[in-house]
Amino acid sequence: MRKPRLRRTMTAFVALVAAAALTACGDSGSGTDGGNDALDAPGAEVLEKAGDKTTIEFWHAMKGPNAAAVDQLVADFNAQSGGKVEVKAVFQGGYDETIAKYKASVQQKSTPALVQIYDIGSRFMVDSKQVVPMHKFIEKDGFNAADIEPNIANYYSVDGKMWSMPFNSSTPLLYLNKEAFERAGLDPTKPPKDLTEIGELAKKLTVKDASGKTVQYGFGAAIYGWLLEQLLATDGKEYCDNGNGRKGLASKVQFDQETAVRVAQWWTDLVKGGYATNTGRKTDDAQAAFKAGTVAMHLESTSVLRGYVDAAKGKFTVLTAPYPKVSSSSTGGPIIGGASLWIDGVGHSAKEKRAAWEFVKFASNPVEQAKWHTGTGYVPINGKALDEQIDKGWMAKFPQFRTAVDQLHALPPSVASAGCLLGVMPQARKASEDGLEAAIVGSKPADQAMKDAATSVQGAIDSYNKSVS
Amino acid sequence: MLMPSVVVFALFVFWPLGRTLYLSLHGNDIFGAPSAYVGGEHYREMLSGEFGKVLATTALFTLFSVVPAVLGALFVVLLLEAHIRGVRALRTAFALPFAFSVATASVIFAVIYNPAIGVANGLLGSLGIDRVNWLTDPSIALPAVCAATVWMNFGYNILVLSAGVSAISPEVVEAARLDGATGWRLASRITVPLLSPQLFFLVVVSTIHALQSFGQIHILTKGGPDQATTTLVYSIYEKAFAFGSSDFGAASAQAVVLLVIMLSCTAVQFGILERRVHYR
Repeated sequence: MRKPRLRRTMTAFVALVAAAALTACGDSGSGTDGGNDALDAPGAEVLEKAGDKTTIEFWHAMKGPNAAAVDQLVADFNAQSGGKVEVKAVFQGGYDETIAKYKASVQQKSTPALVQIYDIGSRFMVDSKQVVPMHKFIEKDGFNAADIEPNIANYYSVDGKMWSMPFNSSTPLLYLNKEAFERAGLDPTKPPKDLTEIGELAKKLTVKDASGKTVQYGFGAAIYGWLLEQLLATDGKEYCDNGNGRKGLASKVQFDQETAVRVAQWWTDLVKGGYATNTGRKTDDAQAAFKAGTVAMHLESTSVLRGYVDAAKGKFTVLTAPYPKVSSSSTGGPIIGGASLWIDGVGHSAKEKRAAWEFVKFASNPVEQAKWHTGTGYVPINGKALDEQIDKGWMAKFPQFRTAVDQLHALPPSVASAGCLLGVMPQARKASEDGLEAAIVGSKPADQAMKDAATSVQGAIDSYNKSVS
Repeated sequence: MLMPSVVVFALFVFWPLGRTLYLSLHGNDIFGAPSAYVGGEHYREMLSGEFGKVLATTALFTLFSVVPAVLGALFVVLLLEAHIRGVRALRTAFALPFAFSVATASVIFAVIYNPAIGVANGLLGSLGIDRVNWLTDPSIALPAVCAATVWMNFGYNILVLSAGVSAISPEVVEAARLDGATGWRLASRITVPLLSPQLFFLVVVSTIHALQSFGQIHILTKGGPDQATTTLVYSIYEKAFAFGSSDFGAASAQAVVLLVIMLSCTAVQFGILERRVHYR
């Protein structure tokens, strides 16, 4: 009796392992098998004809008050859809986590119908061959895309065609502590315009106490690759080759060029001289330093303005100024970053794709964008949102926000300010931070640091390009 | 009777191990799925200087989080042997860090080390000392993360060693005292040798633990500044999951290296240290 049972168990065990092995090998050919029509844009009739309710998932990466604004937007959409469509918003963690989970969902063939992906994930999304390009829906419906801010649309367009709908957009600003300027006898209404001016003012704005301890630094910002990308754009310089990856796949990054090295050197000198504090890469820590009043000039996104104004209440006045340029001769402007919405085609029915598009259209209309703008602090992607009453009230209350909108409108769309499309852009950004940090903490000279950093990402670029072409 | 455990082991240990080996020999498509066979390519990449730095950081981190935590706990336990009032309360207090999860403890240390509003710099400031860049200076970040790790491991070490001390037979100590042994002599000749099984256990377990540490590094420094705290586990995480990277091939190859390192560390510890362990 004993032996046969043991053998049976053995057989079952072997079968189990074999089955597991087969499943694992089977998943390697990840799904581009959706056929051509999977990436087509269906018309409104698919929903009208449908008898039942269409439910889709929307993966997003918004936290805190921004998540509340997403939930409100989704609830408003569901309420007005007349029971035809239900969108379920699912928070997936930060931007990095969301794209990582999206990659896994492609392998498991369980992608959401709609996903919010950060700007630097755009090239990957195009190459994933999973998404319906947004311009197909725009053409299908004769949707008026002219209201979408051209500078914002520029980022998400390849060959002049929009691939995704911008959702939350932010621009970088120079933040100033008004009282720190006044104490130093400086005029806060005349903010510095370029890095050299910031450097000069930083010296005057650095304050030491009687014992020689620094109590206020002139300048402080996170070692955040995004800030460098912005500075290069203000100088009209492209971040990667092949026209910022828009004429063809970018084959190398260019943050070892002279302008980038100059930025790294400028930052290093300020830190070495004791005029700037180095709070590391965490944006939270740099923000805390500015909010605590220990930093007089600071670079950050518009999206933190609301938090700054609240935190500084009763302590100091937060002023905003246009993002500085690298030198007085720079003529470019910053990149409009943020994240956008992508509609998944592969593995989704025509009804689901259409439902996703209906939500995208709803989210980008002026009324919703005005609510989104005032609820989150992101720049409205629809220019008409600024004419809404709720938006005018907000601007009156927070005049500092005017700077971001003015800066956006003053900027002529260009290749440099469209930003770099690169499949491994998140890794490139991280590499540029490696370079900046190595220079700032003094472990390498600035030029060497930026050169090594650019080289370090080359392998990833090459292998990415090999696997998509 | 053995079969169920063999099945569970095969599914959750041998299968992932085999899968890791398989992945380490393959490239990845842009979604992270294994693509072409690349042989030892990922292992060759590790011969670069950068990976050498990762290994050195791992070794330093392990050394400076294991040794102080074990020796420090031993010292405290020996002191707590003194028959003073409130010693039980003290013992509980010292063991308290055990109750904190790595994430909670790391967040507390992140607040302590915060460059602008941190408690550590606040204290230094009130003493008139200029602020220290705890987590942003490459030469200070690793010791700072080690110190946090030592604090986290301290409680567990105290618990294990206290249990060991209370298991020492009073007759032995009594006999030693009758022979005139006190203080340092009693500790070094009687208590510590009798604690050697616990000490050995702690060294082995904390070494493995340190080699696997992730939470405190992720929360405090994210491997920075300038890679100063990028240990092997953190490097595996970065290759596989961080910054939209899905280089599971390279990450798996590094995981295999980590396994080999852990096995050899443990083997060496058993080969050399265990000979000096006195089992009762």
